[in-house]
Amino acid sequence: MEDAVTRLRNAVINYEMETIADLAKQALKEGVNPLVAIEKGLAEGIKTVGEKFGKGEIFLPELVMGAEAMKAALAVLEPAVPSGQHRASAGKVVIGTVQDDIHEIGKNLVSTMLSSNGFEVIDLGVNVPSPEFVKKSEEHGAKIVAMSALMTTTMPRMAEVIGPIKKKKLGVKALVGGAPVTDTYAKEIGAEGYSGDASSAVEVAKKLVR
Amino acid sequence: MAYGIKRGIRFQILSDEDLDRIHWSTLHILEKIGVQVDSPACRKLLKDNGCTVDEKTRIAKIPSYLVEEALIKKKGAFTLAGRNPKYDAKLDMNHSYMTANGNGAVAVDFETGERRGSMKKDVVNSSRIIDALENVHIHWPMVSSTDQHPSVVHLHDLDASLNNTEKHVMYETGVTLSDAKDLTEMGYIAAGGEKEYRQRPLTSCLQCTYAPLQHDAGVMDASLYFAKAGVPLVFFGMPQPGATGPATLVGSLAVGNAEVLSALTMIQLDTPGASIIYGMGNAPLDMRTTVRAGGSPEHAISSAMATELAHYYGMPSCVGVSATAKVPGDQSVLEYYTGCVGPLMAGADLMCGVGLLEDSSCLHYEEIVMDNEIIGAIARLIRGEWADEDTLALDVIEKVGVGKNFLAQRHTVDHFKSEHFKPTLIDRRSYDAWSQTGSKTLRDAARDRVKKILAEHKVAPIAADRQKGLTAVIEKAKKPMWGGESKVQ
Repeated sequence: MEDAVTRLRNAVINYEMETIADLAKQALKEGVNPLVAIEKGLAEGIKTVGEKFGKGEIFLPELVMGAEAMKAALAVLEPAVPSGQHRASAGKVVIGTVQDDIHEIGKNLVSTMLSSNGFEVIDLGVNVPSPEFVKKSEEHGAKIVAMSALMTTTMPRMAEVIGPIKKKKLGVKALVGGAPVTDTYAKEIGAEGYSGDASSAVEVAKKLVR
Repeated sequence: MAYGIKRGIRFQILSDEDLDRIHWSTLHILEKIGVQVDSPACRKLLKDNGCTVDEKTRIAKIPSYLVEEALIKKKGAFTLAGRNPKYDAKLDMNHSYMTANGNGAVAVDFETGERRGSMKKDVVNSSRIIDALENVHIHWPMVSSTDQHPSVVHLHDLDASLNNTEKHVMYETGVTLSDAKDLTEMGYIAAGGEKEYRQRPLTSCLQCTYAPLQHDAGVMDASLYFAKAGVPLVFFGMPQPGATGPATLVGSLAVGNAEVLSALTMIQLDTPGASIIYGMGNAPLDMRTTVRAGGSPEHAISSAMATELAHYYGMPSCVGVSATAKVPGDQSVLEYYTGCVGPLMAGADLMCGVGLLEDSSCLHYEEIVMDNEIIGAIARLIRGEWADEDTLALDVIEKVGVGKNFLAQRHTVDHFKSEHFKPTLIDRRSYDAWSQTGSKTLRDAARDRVKKILAEHKVAPIAADRQKGLTAVIEKAKKPMWGGESKVQ
């Protein structure tokens, strides 16, 4: 019989998103430290899933299911973490699509990729008002604010977020992307990071928190 | 001779039973699951006409009789007029028309080869190239004039297009009510007045619905305005099979169909008889790279099936093609050929569109000309064949007899021009002849043709007073970028 932490790790690797919450509850009942369950169980599991995806052994739906499994278990384990203790992460990322833009698939993919690579992602959803990005970044002490725009008409909203963040000296770096966004445009508006697709967003994010 | 590609053959993918089943499933989706309608004006319209509308979730459930009524009210056949009437595209279900692709934000500079933000001069040049090409029938502003003031980029796009081609211009940038007003006004000015425009609409607008099952507020408010103003509309669903729609192509078709039919219903409730084109471009999400797989066989067959569905409803179709290639060449040709041949063989009325790579993001001038060649070849494939006295040519066969040739026959001279596709880029010469003139690739030949077009092709200008009118609209519309109207309520 595997121990509870190994079971959780394997449940992420095997995308057991429907049943993993029960495993998490069971682990808590057995007296497993929730932080250990998250770091040695879930995080290790999703790391394996991310690596498999990177090597082309599995495909996007499997990666997303792995992330969903992790999310389901986190919902059980995180509230049990004693206050004052925090799980180790590669860094906090606040993410969303910009104001007036409701195209969310790209943002969701980046969000999944980042969490499968150890980032703690705070997803603000779609059509996020520019001040909200600033407020949430500050509140969570995020290292990165990631914004997505799919239309040439909404793209300039990104600059509305970057301006105040710089002014307030929050030390939050901006990562931007979406079909019409280019490297040149990113530089123009003062974004530290740009990525043309979800996979490379991870590499850029890693550089930004280094 | 009528403008466009005459089509005489048609492949059938879905059976009548399949189409019925998709239609009923779509009605089920609209009645039981509903669509999210972000525009308060549209929600009111639906509510007043018997739909169940939840103001909190913004989800409207549409009874099937409203959809069926809309399908009866809509206009079946109409014409997308060109500034020059010889370019009038009659959507008569017997001709196919190829359009340019639209609104990328990046271009590869034709002189320096640098990949950079697109500029107004790119819109000007690509409009002139489209004007010159024999197999592209309808123009789109291919990229955005990102070097212009951000609040009026799309108006500069239309200005550059109207001034540099005599073909019909379809745009996809009418995404707020104020955009719609300005773009409509520019169309009226180019046509010489509202009355003239309503008779011969020189422009049209393609509107995207958001998969799965959502309608953006700005897009729909703009659409209500366009329909009232006589601007023909395309409603273009684009669920990505596996991501924003079911992985099965037919399942995604049903999702896209629900989006298009619900948009159609809203428009017909507000403006009965409005001219609407049925649009769809379902390219799957590539599950390895997370890039939309434009120009994939699934994209092509989805566009073909969407065309069959459009025709089942008695509507002209406008279906999508694109390519994920990064440079003009082997991959772009393979993707564009695959993406175009499927839908055109199924009878696509409009296909959008040629000339952009990186899935409709980046303009390469050479690609426009290469795609023009692809369409030329496909036009020949779908023309249709028939056996009659003339095509069988028994008398000529008898006259020439055994062991001779047909070169010097009147019948040959009379037929070879219309019967055989004449390439403009494909090089069929011998190796020796080819290598002696620089061993040029297809892309090299395309580059030569672009140079020639840019140097020599003349486009009749718009009358000076109308040009001034267009400029005045742009000046008036210029405003500080934000703090103005917001699209989503």
